[in-house]
Amino acid sequence: MATLEVVRYASKTRTVINVLTTIFLGVFLVWTILPFFIMFVSSFKDLLDAFALPPTGDFRGVGVFFNFSPTFKHYIELFTERNFATYFMNSLVASSGSALVSVVLGAMAAYAMSRTDFRGKDHVFFWIISTRMAPVVAVMVPLYAIFRNLELVGTLPGLILAYTTFNLPFAIWILKGFFDNVPYAIEEAAMVDGRTRFGAFLDILPLAAPGIGAFIVLCILFSWNDFLFASIIGSGGAKTLPVATRELVTPTSIQWGKIMAAGVITSVPMTLLGLLIRRYLVTGLTMGAVKE
Amino acid sequence: MTDAFVSAKAVFRDGGLVIDEPAAMRNKPLANRFYFYLMMPAIIVLACITLYPFFWLIFMSLHKVDMGAAGDTWNNFKNWTRLGSDRKFVQGWWLLLKYSSLCMLFEVSLGIMLALILNRSKWEKLLVTVFLMPMMMAPVIAGLVWYYLFNSTFGWYHWLMQSLGILGDKSILGDKATAMWGIVIVDVWQWTPLIILIVLAGLKRVPRDQLEANMVDGAGEIRNFFSITLPNLYPFLLIAVLLRFMDNFRFIDAILVLTGGGPANSTKILPTYLFDVSFTFFKLGRGAAIALTLLVVTIILGMILVKLFENPSTTKSSEA
Repeated sequence: MATLEVVRYASKTRTVINVLTTIFLGVFLVWTILPFFIMFVSSFKDLLDAFALPPTGDFRGVGVFFNFSPTFKHYIELFTERNFATYFMNSLVASSGSALVSVVLGAMAAYAMSRTDFRGKDHVFFWIISTRMAPVVAVMVPLYAIFRNLELVGTLPGLILAYTTFNLPFAIWILKGFFDNVPYAIEEAAMVDGRTRFGAFLDILPLAAPGIGAFIVLCILFSWNDFLFASIIGSGGAKTLPVATRELVTPTSIQWGKIMAAGVITSVPMTLLGLLIRRYLVTGLTMGAVKE
Repeated sequence: MTDAFVSAKAVFRDGGLVIDEPAAMRNKPLANRFYFYLMMPAIIVLACITLYPFFWLIFMSLHKVDMGAAGDTWNNFKNWTRLGSDRKFVQGWWLLLKYSSLCMLFEVSLGIMLALILNRSKWEKLLVTVFLMPMMMAPVIAGLVWYYLFNSTFGWYHWLMQSLGILGDKSILGDKATAMWGIVIVDVWQWTPLIILIVLAGLKRVPRDQLEANMVDGAGEIRNFFSITLPNLYPFLLIAVLLRFMDNFRFIDAILVLTGGGPANSTKILPTYLFDVSFTFFKLGRGAAIALTLLVVTIILGMILVKLFENPSTTKSSEA
């Protein structure tokens, strides 16, 4: 796509504006990265090194930040003493499990809703998406009661079902958009060739595949980062990474080195996954309201 | 000519001709049943995990909920009437509004500025990729990291603020005058990127002919921004603001970690207060009433948002 070519005469104002925008961009870049950077570096610091700060106002003393001998002990202790391998697996199973359930049920429902029409369809559709928008705190108590009756509290299947409450409506909503873009003529052709209706549905799945793939990643991202469901529904047997990290904060001591290490373990995989589906991120995060 | 062919409706979507089946299939029981079966599993699962809790919430809000042997007893709307005199409830709504408005103010103005700069930067792709990183972080981890940065004995941001002479010797999260700013800063750090993304998507779709026509008429760049670009961005900004508002209702993870609603309830926005009522004091009936007020507002916001979904200007492909 061509861009709007405007002849810009070199002028003093133009130069000043250019310098200012560059500085602004630079400041914002530092502001964005710095917390990540400090988290990353602090995860390799021993307790005393992490507490080192220059005196107030001494900007030359910032070098103190790099003045430490790196240690891997926080990472090692998280895995040897704190069961982080289990929590990592719990996070992985719960989030991918829920993504899979949501995408299978969601694709079926989204396809049906895309291809059929019935009275009250708009209302059903709004109900579906409103369940995605409902604040988790608001519905937590009755959900907990249901899950307790089904003996799902503290289990991975329970957590998968809990995550499905927000992933499934999201799946139906987004996937319907994908299927709307697949022409019905393709299924018609398949059915003329003798495929069943369900066969025709399977035939067009590959056409929506890139979107579905990106969408699975988004579902994993949402559930991996969840805290409220995991801390209440998952409490006990299905502790996930965010909850386990939060538990490193105790009234008597806050183990900062370990918290930072756990933060790195929790955020790095999701940051990478997020960048992988960069192209679908806007659509996903705005629930399909904006397309890039 | 067959019935199906006549009633099939053709619509344009994303520039392509799509034949919709609906009207054609309405009279074919077999097809209807197929779609019905396909839809049912998802609908049943959703009904169980959303409708059922919703009605239970209404039931609880009308009863004095006792988890012990006594059971639930009807209490003449006491949960509801008491909300009016509940200062923390009213204050919670007010703080939620204040918190969301402050977040929006900074996120939207920063987002627009950065999107405008990025849109003409040759580093756009790379920079946007970096700017996206905070969004991928679990809110609770973001809260913990910022809690560390703000710590009054070893936090680097605390040190920076002191060195710059801001705040005196107070800590930002420890003082009730500044704690609200503390949680706003974290939200701005994490979610400004989303606004950047949405505005960038909008900027790519500002009609060039309008910009050109306006320039032919002698408008400068600033004039162009206010009379053409901004009005065209309006639907995108509205979507962004609504989404962020609803997310502020949904996500209290960072606030729970950063302040827990303190000091002196200065950051006890409604969802945080609700968390306290239900999970700290176990006043489930009152909690249900509060939860319902929150749900109703969410649903109203959601209805507005869904209306916006139908706006073709935000969803049509930008490659056109």
